[in-house]
Amino acid sequence: MSTLTEAPVESAVRELTYAEAIREALAIAMEADERVFLFGEDVGVYGGAFGVSGDLVHRFGTERVIDTPISELGIAGAAVGAAITGMKPVLEIQFSDFVTLAMEQIVNQAAKIRFMFGGKAKVPMVVRLPGGSGTGAAAQHSQSLEAWFAHVPGLKVIQPSSPHDAKGMLLSAIDDPNPVLIFEHKLLYKTKGHVPEGDYRVPIGKAAVRREGRDLTIVGSSIMAVRAAAAAEKLAEEGIDAEVIDLRSLRPIDFDTIAASVRKTHRLMVVYEGVKTMGIGAEISAMIAESDVFDFLDAPIVRLGGAEVPLPYNPVLEKAAVPQEDDILTAARRLARGDA
Amino acid sequence: MKADTDTTARRPNQRPELAAIDDETMRSVLRKMHLIRKFEEAAEASYMRGLIHGTMHLSIGQEASAVGATLALMDEDYILSTHRGHGHCIAKGAEPARMFAEFFGKENGYCRGRGGSMHIADVDGGNLGANGIVGGGLPIAVGVGMSIKAQKLDRVAVVFFGDGASNEGAFHEALNMASIWKLPILFVCENNKYGMSMDIGRAMAVPNVADRAVAYAMPGVVVDGNDLPAVAAVAREAAERARAGGGPTLIECKTYRLRGHSKSDRNLYRTKEEIEDWRNRCPIRRLEAELVAHERFTPEVLMTIEEAAQAEIDTALDFAKASPDPDPKDLTRDVYAD
Amino acid sequence: MPVEVILPKVDMDMETGSIEAWKVAEGDAVKQGDILFEIGTNKAVMEVEAPASGIIRNLVPASGEPIAVGTPVAWIFQEGEEAGEAAEPTAGAPGTSLAVGRVAPQEGPLPSSVTTPTPSPSPQGGGESGAPMNGRHAAPTADGIRATPLARRTARLNGIAIDAVTGSGPRGRITEKDVLAHLAQAESAAPAPVAARAPAETPAEGELVPFGPVRRIIASRLAESMRVAPHFYMTAQMDMSALQALLKRVGPRIEKAVGVKPSLTVLLARVVGGILPRHPMLNASVEGDAARLHAAVNIGIAMERDGDLVVPVLRGAEGKTLAELTRDFGRLREAVASRSIQPADMRGGTFTLSNLGMFGVDSFTAIINQPESAILAIGRTVEMPVGRNGEIVLRPMATFSLSSDHRIVDGVAAARFMADLREAIECPEVLI
Repeated sequence: MSTLTEAPVESAVRELTYAEAIREALAIAMEADERVFLFGEDVGVYGGAFGVSGDLVHRFGTERVIDTPISELGIAGAAVGAAITGMKPVLEIQFSDFVTLAMEQIVNQAAKIRFMFGGKAKVPMVVRLPGGSGTGAAAQHSQSLEAWFAHVPGLKVIQPSSPHDAKGMLLSAIDDPNPVLIFEHKLLYKTKGHVPEGDYRVPIGKAAVRREGRDLTIVGSSIMAVRAAAAAEKLAEEGIDAEVIDLRSLRPIDFDTIAASVRKTHRLMVVYEGVKTMGIGAEISAMIAESDVFDFLDAPIVRLGGAEVPLPYNPVLEKAAVPQEDDILTAARRLARGDA
Repeated sequence: MKADTDTTARRPNQRPELAAIDDETMRSVLRKMHLIRKFEEAAEASYMRGLIHGTMHLSIGQEASAVGATLALMDEDYILSTHRGHGHCIAKGAEPARMFAEFFGKENGYCRGRGGSMHIADVDGGNLGANGIVGGGLPIAVGVGMSIKAQKLDRVAVVFFGDGASNEGAFHEALNMASIWKLPILFVCENNKYGMSMDIGRAMAVPNVADRAVAYAMPGVVVDGNDLPAVAAVAREAAERARAGGGPTLIECKTYRLRGHSKSDRNLYRTKEEIEDWRNRCPIRRLEAELVAHERFTPEVLMTIEEAAQAEIDTALDFAKASPDPDPKDLTRDVYAD
Repeated sequence: MPVEVILPKVDMDMETGSIEAWKVAEGDAVKQGDILFEIGTNKAVMEVEAPASGIIRNLVPASGEPIAVGTPVAWIFQEGEEAGEAAEPTAGAPGTSLAVGRVAPQEGPLPSSVTTPTPSPSPQGGGESGAPMNGRHAAPTADGIRATPLARRTARLNGIAIDAVTGSGPRGRITEKDVLAHLAQAESAAPAPVAARAPAETPAEGELVPFGPVRRIIASRLAESMRVAPHFYMTAQMDMSALQALLKRVGPRIEKAVGVKPSLTVLLARVVGGILPRHPMLNASVEGDAARLHAAVNIGIAMERDGDLVVPVLRGAEGKTLAELTRDFGRLREAVASRSIQPADMRGGTFTLSNLGMFGVDSFTAIINQPESAILAIGRTVEMPVGRNGEIVLRPMATFSLSSDHRIVDGVAAARFMADLREAIECPEVLI
C-alpha cells in the first residue's frame, strides 16, 4: 500500500481506530475554532450510537456537543440555518438510512442555497453518516446511499477508507465552505491504522492509488477500497498485477486518476456497495466510455455492485448481497484472463 | 411634514396598538404596504404580458402581516420567508428594483437571476431567503436561533410560513427544538385559509394554528392578520420576550390572499363572494381609514404616500427591464464556494 | 383613453393561447370583472375578466388559433371615446407601467418577442437530411465485428483492417494481443500474400482450414529456422531415478508453499538452468556474423493449445529455486489455458525444452526456436534394463535429444553439455 504524501513524516507509528480518528479530528476542529459544534441524536453522554463522539461532551460541554430530539429533518435544517449565519455545524445522522427523513433540507436547501442566492451565502456544514452493511442491522439500517447525494450539485460526498483518511478528510470537510457529506462505513469504525498526531488535511476530490499494477484497475471507495486492496495482494500471488484506486471522494470525483490507470491497464472494474444499477459504477463506466480512454479498453468494464434487493438480515444472505473479497477475486481473474 | 402630522399624542382615544406607532414609523409602514401591493400588481401585469417566466405567488391582501411582524426588527435581525414572500422581502427593507431585476432573471437581481420569485434572498440585509418548499424555512430558523445563541448575539429570527406548512413534520420538529432550547424565534403563520386549494378546516384537526403552540410549551397568539397595529403589537411583545431569553412564540395572523395560489389557479374552491368579502377588509385601506378617522393623516397626505410608492415601483421596473441578462458562460458559477 | 385587453399568460411556460369563445360582443358594455372570453391553453380553459368598464371594440374573433401571449385581442373604450383614438390597436403596446388595462397604446411598440414569436429554427438545420456526420458512417462499431476499443485503436495505428484479425476472446472478440499477433505474422510473412482468406470453393480434396494467426507465425518461424540454421542432433539415455526421488520428496512441500505441484518439466528446467551458464554457446543466439551470449537463462517451454504451439518463457532459470520456477510456470500455464498469456511472456527465450514424454514418445528431435541456438527434446521415462556394476537392473530411463545450431555450436560443445546434463540428472546434488 502506498504511503500518503499528505501525512506529516513521523518517527513513531501511532495506530488509532477509524472511530478514534474521527473523534480526534472533531476535537482538533473544536479546539481550533469556536464556531465548530457537533450535534445529533445521542452524541452526548451516550457517546454516539457507534461510540464516535465518545467523551467529547465532557471535553467541550453540552453547548458544543448537543444531543438533539429524534428529528432528522429538523436537525438537518438546523445545520443549514447555523451554517448560513456564521457557524460550522457537524451533524451526525445516527444511521445513514435515516437521512431519508432529512432529504428535503440536504437536497433542496443545503445544496442549493448558495446557487439560488446568486453566490451570496455559504453553507459550511458537515453531515456524518454511518452506513453500509455487515452488522446484521437489516434493510433499514444497512444501506449505502452515497450515490443519491453524489447526484446533487452543491453537495460534496466523501468516503474515507482508512483511519488516516477519516481524520484528514473530516478536517478538510470542516474547513470546506460547502455542505460535505461524509459516509463512514460501520465495519470500518474498529479498523486500526496509522494516524499522525495533530492537524493535517487529506484533500477532498483526490483519489489515492493504493497499489500500482499493470493488468487491471480496480476502483472502489470506503470498505470496498479495503477489500480491493486485500484482493489485489492475493491476485499478485497468482501473477495478476492489479492497480487499486481508492476513490475517497464521489463528488467531486477524481476522474484523472482513474483515466490514467485505465490508460495503462486497459481493464477496469468498479466495486461499490450501493445497489449496482444506476450507481457509482455506471457513472465511472460512462465517464470512461465518453472520454478518449475508451480507445484504451481491451475488455468490457466490469461493475461489482450491491444486489438488487433490500439488505437481508440473515448473515449469509447479507454477505451475498454486497461484493466481498472473494467476489472481487473471481471477477478480477476473469477480467485479467480476458473472459469477462 | 413630520411636525404637522405628528398627532399621536393628541389622540388619546386611539387604541394602544395604533398609538404605539408614531407618525414617522407609520409613514414607513404605509410606504412599505403600498410598495408590496404595487410591486405585486406590476409583477402580475408583467407576467401576463409574458415578460416574466415561471410562476409567482402573490400576497395581495396579506401586506399587514408582513409589515407588522417585522416592524420590531432591527437591521441585523433575521427573517426567513416563503414562496409567497415578496411582502416579507420589502418589509425587511429590500429594494424593489433589485427584486424586479430578480423577477426578470437579470444579473443585478438579488440572486443574479438564479433564484427568481421563490428564492429572493438578501443575506446582508438579514433576509435569509424565500423558500420554494412549504415549511422549508422552519428548521433552518432553528439553526439560526442556535447560531444567535452560540454567538451570544442580541438578535431574533422571524420565520414566516403558511397554514399549510403547519401540517408538515418540519413545523413540529422546529417548534419543539426551538422551545426546548429557548431559541429567539418568532414563528409567524400567515393563515390565509387555503393550502393551495385545501381549506384549512379540512386540513387541520384544531381550529387555530396557534392552538398547536400548547404542544410545544410556547405562547400561541391568534391575531387579525389584516390589522397592522394588532400584528405589530403582538410581534413586538414576542420579539422582546425572545431577546430577553424567554424563547419562541407562535403567532397566527388570520388573513386572506386575494389572488389565486399561483398564476394557474382557477379559483374553483372558493366563491367570488368570499373573495369580495375579503377585498373589503383590505389591510391598507383599513389602516388608512383608521388614520384618517383619528386625524393622524389627511387623505391628501395618504395619497401622496401612495403615489410616491407607485413612482418608486415604476422606476424599479424600468431598472429591471434595462438590466443585463446573465451570461450563459457563467451557468455553473456559485454552485460551490471556494 | 381606451384600455387594451390582452391575451394573458395564465400558466407556466405558456407562450400562446387561443380564444375559445367570447362572452361579449363588439359594442357591448362591460363592467370591470365581467367575464370577457374563455382562453384555452394546453391544460385547461379559463375565463378572462374585463380589466376596466366600458364598451368592447376591435374584438379579435374567436378562432381557436394560437395567439401570442400579450397580444391585444380587444379594447375597452370609455363612453364618448372614438374608436379612432386607438389607431391600429394591434400595433398598440404597453409602456413603462404594466398594470393591465391602464396602458395607453401610443406609448410604444410591444417587444417583438411577444407580438411575433417567430419559431426559432433548429440549430441542427439540415442535420436530419440524411448527410452523415463527418466520418461517422465509417464508425468502427458499425462493422459488425466484435473487437475491443484498444484492439481497434492498435489496428488503426498500425494500418491493419480490423476484419483481417482473428479474435481469440469470448465470442471471437478481438483484443489487443490478437492485433499484435496479426501484426507479427504480417511482418514476418510480408512478401507472401496470405491466400488463406480466399473463399473456399468446395475443395476437391478434403477441407481447407485457413491458418489462424498463431499458426501463421509458427509456420513461418519454423520454416525459417530450418532454412537458416544447420541443425545437428545428439541423443543420450539418462537414469531418472534420482530426479524422480527428488520430485517425490520435495513435491508436496513446494505444492504447499506455492499452490502448484512441480512437474518433471520444471525440474528439468531447473537442472538445465543450473548447467547452461557453463555452456555459453548453447545459451546464445546468432546476430549476423556474431553470437550473442546471454547472461540470463530464460527457458522456453513448448506447449500445445488448441492445436497451436505456444512457448511461454521461464525467466531467470539460472538463479531461481524449484519452488519459484514452479510458481512461475503455474502462472504461465494458467495464462496459456485461459488465453490471457501476454506477448511479453513469450519473448526473450534463450533455450527451449520440449517434453512429449507424457504421450509415450520414446524420443524425437526438435526444430530450434529461432533465434536460440539449441533445443532439448525429452521422451518418456520408462523402466529399462541397464547394466549396473555387472548386473542387469531395471532403471527409469529417458531419452534426451539435443538439436543444436552448428553455426555456433560444435559437436564437442554439445557433447559436453550432454555430459553435464547426465551428471546433474543422475546426481542432482552437484547443482547445490
